[in-house]
Amino acid sequence: MHLKLIACEILYREFCWAAARSPHRVDVQFLPKGLHDIGKVGMNARLNEAVDGENGNGCDAVLLGYALCSNGLVGLKAGTVPLVLPRAHDCITLFLGDKRRYLDYFQSNPGVYFKTSGWIERGEQLEQLGPESIQTLSGMNQSYEELVEKYGEDNAKFLMEQFGDMTRNYSKLTFIEMGIEPDDRFEQETRRQAGERGWRFEKLLGDMQLITDLVDGNWDDERFLVVPPGHEIATTFDEQIVKAVPSNSRP
Amino acid sequence: MSDPAQLYDAILTGNAKQAEEVTNAALAAGVNPTELLGNYMIPAMDEVGKRFECNEYFVPELLIAARAMKTALQILTPKLAEAGTEAAGRVVIGTVQGDLHDIGKNLVASMLEGGGFEVVDLGVDVPASRFVEAAQEKNGTIVALSALLTTTMTQMKAVIEALEAAGLRGATKVMVGGAPITQQYADEIGADGYSDNASAAVALARNLVK
Repeated sequence: MHLKLIACEILYREFCWAAARSPHRVDVQFLPKGLHDIGKVGMNARLNEAVDGENGNGCDAVLLGYALCSNGLVGLKAGTVPLVLPRAHDCITLFLGDKRRYLDYFQSNPGVYFKTSGWIERGEQLEQLGPESIQTLSGMNQSYEELVEKYGEDNAKFLMEQFGDMTRNYSKLTFIEMGIEPDDRFEQETRRQAGERGWRFEKLLGDMQLITDLVDGNWDDERFLVVPPGHEIATTFDEQIVKAVPSNSRP
Repeated sequence: MSDPAQLYDAILTGNAKQAEEVTNAALAAGVNPTELLGNYMIPAMDEVGKRFECNEYFVPELLIAARAMKTALQILTPKLAEAGTEAAGRVVIGTVQGDLHDIGKNLVASMLEGGGFEVVDLGVDVPASRFVEAAQEKNGTIVALSALLTTTMTQMKAVIEALEAAGLRGATKVMVGGAPITQQYADEIGADGYSDNASAAVALARNLVK
């Protein structure tokens, strides 16, 4: 098969590793990390553009190296070839290899934040996304000085407290080691960041299976969704996570 | 004597200090607290909501206006109680179990308080049973549920089921919100309302207590 993979750059090393070993020809395109920060509509538009660009290019399927990503994939349409994506809420399932393993870990570890190689070394374009991010559009992405100028010192202090940090209630940083890292540099960086924030550190061994099965074409219905042409991605609100619905079913 | 109409401007511009001064001066001058609330304060917050919806105001303006409103309300509340004026309604709010994100929830709570509601904030990672206990304390309570993650939003359904199991669903309205929530999801789990922003959440809550 000739496959086209459109993936989030947070999975850069993993997908490069898997694509190199795939029995199929896999063309890879990475999009900037953090697209979910520009909201459902913005993320959807960026992905639709990338998917549309592939139709008619002779590939047999477009693979999405994504998850539901805060509904960023909802409404994404298959063009002339199927779209294939893992059934997952977010990229942690791709790193851990199994949605149940992720859910178990998530539920027994409230307040956990994750790191992998991609989290640490990718994201140069995050600043370019900045102006489109929900934080910026809602006026929450302002410096203390900007707030003082607009609302006075008393209100600026109050606003800084209110905006806080999205991770202010977090208490643990978990490094997922995928087994393809050159050495322990990413683990050491994660340990350093955990120490800096006063959070607990844990290391988990990741699992490349879901990532390799996506690019190898092993798409069983339990773990993957194949969206046929004329259909689009929708949520199921249950453990299936995503489903395909006819594109014309929505107004 | 200061003009009570200044209270409207103080709230609209998020000037908590001025709101406090004008409220104290108006009460000292014998202005009826219920009128102060109904003629100046609530209309100011309604105008804040309108400006937010027209993209003239953003989240910071909402927050500082709600803060000025709260400052005036704190002075006014004992007087309102004496006058027999009741809150617009009672809202029990929290982020569902497993979810520790609270920026959106806090914003909605502030706006509801500014809108004249009594708000009981249960915080984050709130199990369904806590929402049930809080709803039990008073008939007609609105339960407001927040979630940021698609992994945790399904807890909203668990809260609605727990309210049903406790026999409270009839007397309790449920409103939901948060980044991954949609009207479709609210309908699917049988919530009474959904809002995609903090300003519209106040209008929604008012509708629910009508």
